[in-house]
Amino acid sequence: MPAELSKVMSLGIVDYLEDQFTKPKTGYTGFRRYQNLAPDDCRTLVNDPTSPSSLCARDNYTLFEMQRQFFANAMNGEDQLRQRMAFALSQIFVISGTEIKNAYAMSTYQNMLLDDAFGNFRDVMEHVTLHPAMGIYLDMLNNDKANPLKGTKPNENYAREFMQLFTIGTEQLNLDGTPRLDADGEPLATYTQQDVEALARVFTGWTYSVWPGQTSKWTNAPKLHGQLAAVDSHHDTDPKLFLGASLPGGQTAVADMNLALDVIFTHPNVGPFIATRLIQSFVTSNPSPAYVARVARVFNNNGMGVRGDLQAVLRAIFFDAEARGQKSDSAYGKLKEPALFMTGFLRALGGTSDGVFLRAQSAAMGQDIFTAPSVFNYYSPTHRIGDGTLKGPEFQIFNGVTTLARIDFVYQIVYGDGAAADKTVVNSTGTSLSFADAATVYANAQVASELDARMMYGKLSDASYKSVTDALAALAPDDIEGRARAAAYVLGVSAQYQVQR
Amino acid sequence: MDRRQFLRGMGFLSAATALSQLSIVNAQADASDDYKALVCVFLFGGNDGNNMIVPVDARYDSYAALRGSLALASDKLVQLPDVNGATEYGMHSALSGLKGAWNNGHLAVLLNSGPLVRPITRAEVLANIARPFELFSHSGQQRTWQVAAKTSEARGWGGRIADEVNSMNAGATTPTSIAIAGASAFSVANSGALVLPTSGGLNLRGTDSSAASRARAAALDQMLATDKNFELVSAAQEVTAGSLQRRAAVNGIVNTTSTTVKSAFAGLSSTVAKQMQTIAKLVEGHQELGVRRQVFFVGLGGFDTHSGQLSTQNTLLGQLGGAVKAFYDATVAMGMADKVTTFTLSDFARTMRANSVGGTDHAWGNHHLIVGGAVRGKAFYGEYPQLIAGGPDDAGSDGRWIPTTSVDQYAATLARWFGVADERLEALFPLMKNFAARDLGFF
Repeated sequence: MPAELSKVMSLGIVDYLEDQFTKPKTGYTGFRRYQNLAPDDCRTLVNDPTSPSSLCARDNYTLFEMQRQFFANAMNGEDQLRQRMAFALSQIFVISGTEIKNAYAMSTYQNMLLDDAFGNFRDVMEHVTLHPAMGIYLDMLNNDKANPLKGTKPNENYAREFMQLFTIGTEQLNLDGTPRLDADGEPLATYTQQDVEALARVFTGWTYSVWPGQTSKWTNAPKLHGQLAAVDSHHDTDPKLFLGASLPGGQTAVADMNLALDVIFTHPNVGPFIATRLIQSFVTSNPSPAYVARVARVFNNNGMGVRGDLQAVLRAIFFDAEARGQKSDSAYGKLKEPALFMTGFLRALGGTSDGVFLRAQSAAMGQDIFTAPSVFNYYSPTHRIGDGTLKGPEFQIFNGVTTLARIDFVYQIVYGDGAAADKTVVNSTGTSLSFADAATVYANAQVASELDARMMYGKLSDASYKSVTDALAALAPDDIEGRARAAAYVLGVSAQYQVQR
Repeated sequence: MDRRQFLRGMGFLSAATALSQLSIVNAQADASDDYKALVCVFLFGGNDGNNMIVPVDARYDSYAALRGSLALASDKLVQLPDVNGATEYGMHSALSGLKGAWNNGHLAVLLNSGPLVRPITRAEVLANIARPFELFSHSGQQRTWQVAAKTSEARGWGGRIADEVNSMNAGATTPTSIAIAGASAFSVANSGALVLPTSGGLNLRGTDSSAASRARAAALDQMLATDKNFELVSAAQEVTAGSLQRRAAVNGIVNTTSTTVKSAFAGLSSTVAKQMQTIAKLVEGHQELGVRRQVFFVGLGGFDTHSGQLSTQNTLLGQLGGAVKAFYDATVAMGMADKVTTFTLSDFARTMRANSVGGTDHAWGNHHLIVGGAVRGKAFYGEYPQLIAGGPDDAGSDGRWIPTTSVDQYAATLARWFGVADERLEALFPLMKNFAARDLGFF
């Protein structure tokens, strides 16, 4: 049995969760190239891709090493829940390598999400807002107040996406996540274009924090750690009306931002909005309204009067009957996203990886880590499947091409010796899954039932179980290794495994 | 010159009878190949149409004043003289590759179209009357442009018209609706939609004739047929099975190297060019696939230019122009230009007014390109807005133009050309009834 599973079973789920909350982060380390753009000694040489200069460029000015560490941590970190939660948050508060190619900037951002994973949502909102990488990505950085002489206006990008994607969404929600409707049965909008323009004015006057020894000015030189700094002379100080709240004139950029974040944080949509996304990340794509309401209620109040307590929210998600129950509902479950599909497969069977192979495979499956196509992530939480009645976010990147990439991955791991160590990566181990001791691991030749237990929680249907044993029947009864490979392959490529139920 | 123009030009037919006679001529010319394809190129992020099509007449000064630092110099624009000899507009220079299609009369521009419930005034917009779904939001506007129906509609409008004509593809080895390199709502169809890679085929390793390989394949087939009662499992199985079943047919087409297609795309390396090259191969191989109607979708991202717009849009339009030109040239070389229509869609246009970092924000009505031998090109359709910030055509104060042509009208015009019967248009596009013109006339 995989070690982590043994731990859950010996501690019990309640104590396991509390234990996970205390585990320090396995973070992103070793990025010391603070410069925004690659210096001359750190350039990709097309003719010499493994020279120190090229590797410096690869490891610091592309996300190669960040992605590798992501998978290495996901495979090996003891802070499994923190990794999962930070990954879930990174798919809500999206920044992308389409623009943020600087590994140091991405590392400080992702480390921040790891640090905040079990904190309070209000802190996540503020930390994300003031992180320079987010500032670059959604243009809050150097967002100047309107200039009538030049005919320019504040940049609306961060204001809009902060409300639409990070906190409250476009439709007014009931506590259970269902939309509030107008007299014609149409969803009520959460905010107007005027609200977006007002919040864009709130978010004016921020630039990089100043480097030691320099004087802060509009605008400061790039600095990819710490928080953005306010320059009040470039902040719009007129009064602002926003989401029904009134922000007085003459306030500093800091005061305006704090008030605006409080207005958004206390908006009734945040609980059901975030509850739905986290449930979809961890448990099921189509939670019942009652499940959403139970989690949203805990978001609104953790029982001690605190709003936004993410540990309490995670407890509510995992201990809920809908996560723990019989799961007999035919619509239950979620398609595993590529990163979880691959790491889950390897961890269940005792595989190892340094992350090099997995980062490339994940991209081929439509999930280029930290590099979503846009701030809308790899997939939409409302992406619909079949006749449109069910949601299946991850299905948005599951298609005729990527389904074959998943099959190819399993083939390469099971029959293709995985991937060898990469000489250009320090301490590289490659990616492998050994079946050499299959005869010991799968004692008494119970290959099918052992793999059912490891990969399907012992819940494989009778018909599917027979499909596996039929495939094994083509192999000699004493060829335990061959049978273990065949069973791992058939289960790994199956929809029954790739959909978590 | 297409067949219709030819017949008119010869004086054989009046314009009024041309259409009915045409089908007879078509049938006689090639009864086996009544083929048509629609190719949607979606410009993700919201292409700034205000800098794609620019007035070069007396309105240019208003344009330049509103755009400020983003104004394109009038002498850098590709001039677009229309069929009447008037030159009212110019095109972004990065699209200069499309000048040939324009001169051939095979490129048309649709002005200021966008999501509308019905024709609407500024006063109504400000009073929140007849407001379309989720204006100014990427996801909401992408959905409206691609689905053109209520939020409960699962199919995209590309998928719906694919379903309408699907009976013409009886026995085909691929679905009518095909998307390249990723699924979008536009393509979703009851008759199925297939996603194909940017280039190359649907490849799979470990499939040989060995006993072990065959046993694995058989087990996979069995696994694909069990546990159908679990809806997400069943949905995933459908995707996998669909891909496995179509591999052979698709690979036979896309892995062949036709000189016609290859030479049209020579020297192009952008992703969108590779994707349109794949589409060109499928168009060329349509008889082998057994299809007479195809609806393609391809996307080009990066148009959400909140900063540094001038250089980003220049790069992206260069990729778009190169790819669409090559694709058009390929269809001309195949002798199929009049059977294939390529058109652009995008989230929205962008504000006329810029911000301090050379970017723009989400707007509404936008200009679009329609390319193909069947297009009545060298012409502009729709109405260009009055360039007054806060004026009668502005939804706010920054130049968010209120559309004067709806997405539904645009889509229905394409659908009608594709062969969808007029009486089906309102069923397909529920808001059509609110607009006078059912056909914008660009065919």
